[in-house]
Amino acid sequence: MKTLSPLNSSNPCLLKTHFLKVPIFNPIFKFKPLPHNTHHARIAKVPSFTINSKLKSSQDINNTGKKSVSQKIVLSETSPPPLAVDKDDINGGSGSESVPVSSKKKGGVSGLAKKLSKKVLQILSNLSLAIGEMFTIAALMALGTVIEQGEAPDFYFKNYPEDHPVLGFFTWRWVLTLGFDHMFTSPVFIGMLALLGASLMACTYTTQIPLVKVSRRWAFLHSAEAIRKQEFSDTLTRASIEDVGTLLMGAGYEVFLKGPCLYAFQGLAGRLAPIGVHISLLLIMVGGTLSAAGSFKGSVTVPQGLNFVVGDVLGPTGFLSTPTEAFNTEIHVNRFYMDYFESGEVSQFHTDLSLLDMDGKEVMRKTISVNDPLRYGGITIYQTDWSISALQILKDNEGPYNLAMAPLQINGDKKLFGTFLPVGDINSPDVKGISMLARDLQSIVLYDKEGKFAGVRRPNSKLPINIDGSEIVILDAIGSSGLDLKTDPGVPTVYAGFGALMLTTCISYLSHSQIWAIQDGTSVIIGGKTNRAKMEFPEEMNRLLDKVPEIVESSSSQQVDTITSG
Amino acid sequence: MIFSTLEHILTHISFSVVSIVISTHLITLLVNEILGFHDSSKNGMIISFFCITGLLITRWILSGHLPFSDLYESLIFLSWGFSILHIVFCFKKHKNDFSAIIAPSVIFTQGFATSGVLTEMHQSAILVPALQSHWLMMHVSMMIFGYAALLCGSLLSVGILVITFGEVIQILGKSNNLYFLNESFSFVEIQYMNRNERNNVLQKTFFSSSRNYYRSQFIQQLDRWSYRIISLGFLFLTIGILSGAVWANEAWGSYWNWDPKETWAFITWTIFAIYLHTRKNTKLESVNSSIAASLGFLIIWICYLGINLLGIGLHSYGSFTSN
Repeated sequence: MKTLSPLNSSNPCLLKTHFLKVPIFNPIFKFKPLPHNTHHARIAKVPSFTINSKLKSSQDINNTGKKSVSQKIVLSETSPPPLAVDKDDINGGSGSESVPVSSKKKGGVSGLAKKLSKKVLQILSNLSLAIGEMFTIAALMALGTVIEQGEAPDFYFKNYPEDHPVLGFFTWRWVLTLGFDHMFTSPVFIGMLALLGASLMACTYTTQIPLVKVSRRWAFLHSAEAIRKQEFSDTLTRASIEDVGTLLMGAGYEVFLKGPCLYAFQGLAGRLAPIGVHISLLLIMVGGTLSAAGSFKGSVTVPQGLNFVVGDVLGPTGFLSTPTEAFNTEIHVNRFYMDYFESGEVSQFHTDLSLLDMDGKEVMRKTISVNDPLRYGGITIYQTDWSISALQILKDNEGPYNLAMAPLQINGDKKLFGTFLPVGDINSPDVKGISMLARDLQSIVLYDKEGKFAGVRRPNSKLPINIDGSEIVILDAIGSSGLDLKTDPGVPTVYAGFGALMLTTCISYLSHSQIWAIQDGTSVIIGGKTNRAKMEFPEEMNRLLDKVPEIVESSSSQQVDTITSG
Repeated sequence: MIFSTLEHILTHISFSVVSIVISTHLITLLVNEILGFHDSSKNGMIISFFCITGLLITRWILSGHLPFSDLYESLIFLSWGFSILHIVFCFKKHKNDFSAIIAPSVIFTQGFATSGVLTEMHQSAILVPALQSHWLMMHVSMMIFGYAALLCGSLLSVGILVITFGEVIQILGKSNNLYFLNESFSFVEIQYMNRNERNNVLQKTFFSSSRNYYRSQFIQQLDRWSYRIISLGFLFLTIGILSGAVWANEAWGSYWNWDPKETWAFITWTIFAIYLHTRKNTKLESVNSSIAASLGFLIIWICYLGINLLGIGLHSYGSFTSN
């Protein structure tokens, strides 16, 4: 406990508030500062501290206090510094995201414009407006899943006719004018999102940032009535406020003691984390905008053994899309193959890719599969699709011939590919031949001229099959790999937003509890409130207060009584 | 074979135990306070929790992957989520108000999962390529925990709405009664009637005020609980959606596709964000926030079952080969 006193002397800010255990044990001295304060105001607010000094002091308290608690406090106390960083992010965000607000702010040289921007801020930060916006966005999204997206106008003419409007008013005119046929890129929806973003910023700026300033200074309550008015209050007879303080400290509270008054809090991070939630949402919005404006996308189906150039496949999606060096890369599909379960169903698709630079030198080689894309120079290559491009066969030991496969029927999950080997006169009008069908690269089903089932062969079995007098060996089934290519400059920002959002949402679950106590004679009046865990808080308090030791000796109590009553 | 038998046995045990728990609840509701029933219901929930855990583990061993691949398994996991919530709150020593909501939830989800609607799904299926990822565990477990917590919390809110609406109706009924009482007494001597009425009214107000006190306290309790649980569910839902987005960026090439399931998850998220914001405004508290939460209850079911049953979008599992 003695280690605390050098801290006090070294830190001029702390001279006024004595930390726990510092007050002198003589009760007469103890109550000396009380009249000065109570004359001025009931709630004396201590001038705000810098975060640094606060951090230092709280950690020092922990070091002297119970060690088991220290981790808990460090958790709650280390989070404010990131907030200082986050504040810069708001400014960054407001610069790039909401054009209307910032432009109005910048134009505010004259008083009128300033007033206007203030008014706009006020309107935007209105909670009811924000709730309305969220509700509208939710409704629009729901509508977007109900109305078929991305169909041709004829579809909407047919499904939302004017003579039988849905719900009596909803016709194709609504759909097409408001752009509900492409809901998630429609101006209405994007506009609502932008408005919500503006509201988020306004709310963070006008409501949440001031909250940081308020919660940074702690307020002592100097009257018993004020303490009794709290959501939880209790009176402990024959107790000392120092014991209460020690117990609270042991329970992970930050405790401040000045004269007979005590103020303690816990979980301040839980109160400040919603700011982080808002900022990370803004970050995600910024990232999403970047993605929409600056990406390239494209997909390609490449037969095994062939090449393509990245730049030929990728097409820009927005006005900010600019191609990079890596677009000249040529990609060679070395091999496409599938893994199968024992039951014969496909378990995974693999494509072995080689990346070649302008000079034809291999710069990278990787086998990609679903859930395991390739990343190179900002380009990501995904395995998304497949098909069978050709069958390699020997006919009567001649060949090999490559027969192109065509997709025949795509019904639900099943793919079917087929090819045809003409037999006899190719130029006759009703040419007949052998049909070969395949569902995957594992087995080929063959049918004869009449369309009767002839047999099944595996591509690598080398087992000949004799149909209509010709011997056929299936050498190989050549698959082609369906690849999706993408560049997305927004991903780092979005991921940063995701991480921050997860973290701050978790921290937001913490409850910010505040406790005030005052020594009134031999009894201690204690009150407190919390912002989230309102059910658990009284129980926790009762459990804690049960541990407060009862003071038996009564030598000095009389003196104390006379002082406080006067 | 042994596994599937074991699975059957566990399903039936957990189902019947939960139904016994519900009937004990009903009995305690009708016959006042039979000692030991509360304990038995708690034990019953613990037994069913272990049964469902065993069920999930057997399915895990049987199929070789985490049991999240189809609706049946996710429903079982949902009821496991409910029972784990129950256990957690049991250990925190909080009355049985909560288990009155959770036990029926468990039985409904499990009943639905084991009922004939989904029989063809009982055979555990293979995992399509897109689902073979470590993100599966994180995404699905977080989503289902989120759904479980949000469903519980919003059910509590529905409870608040039912109680407060009942109160409104009861108040109306009471004033009617009083009016009739006055009418009938109007034939009696005026002096007597006045005195009587005064007594009557006094008594009534006394009763109703003490009743109102307990009622409002109960409502407040429900309100605070639902807030706490919904915040927890919101946390899980956020993590679930975001991990899903990261996964989608690995598997499908885009972190957000406006796929119906995604969109509805986002709608759910928005609705509960509205709920959390209505709490900030003291004017809108309680009734309005309960309405938001009850709306959320419906939306979770649309998101969770509606989209799956319609089988639209990328979450219909099997998307890869159908492209």
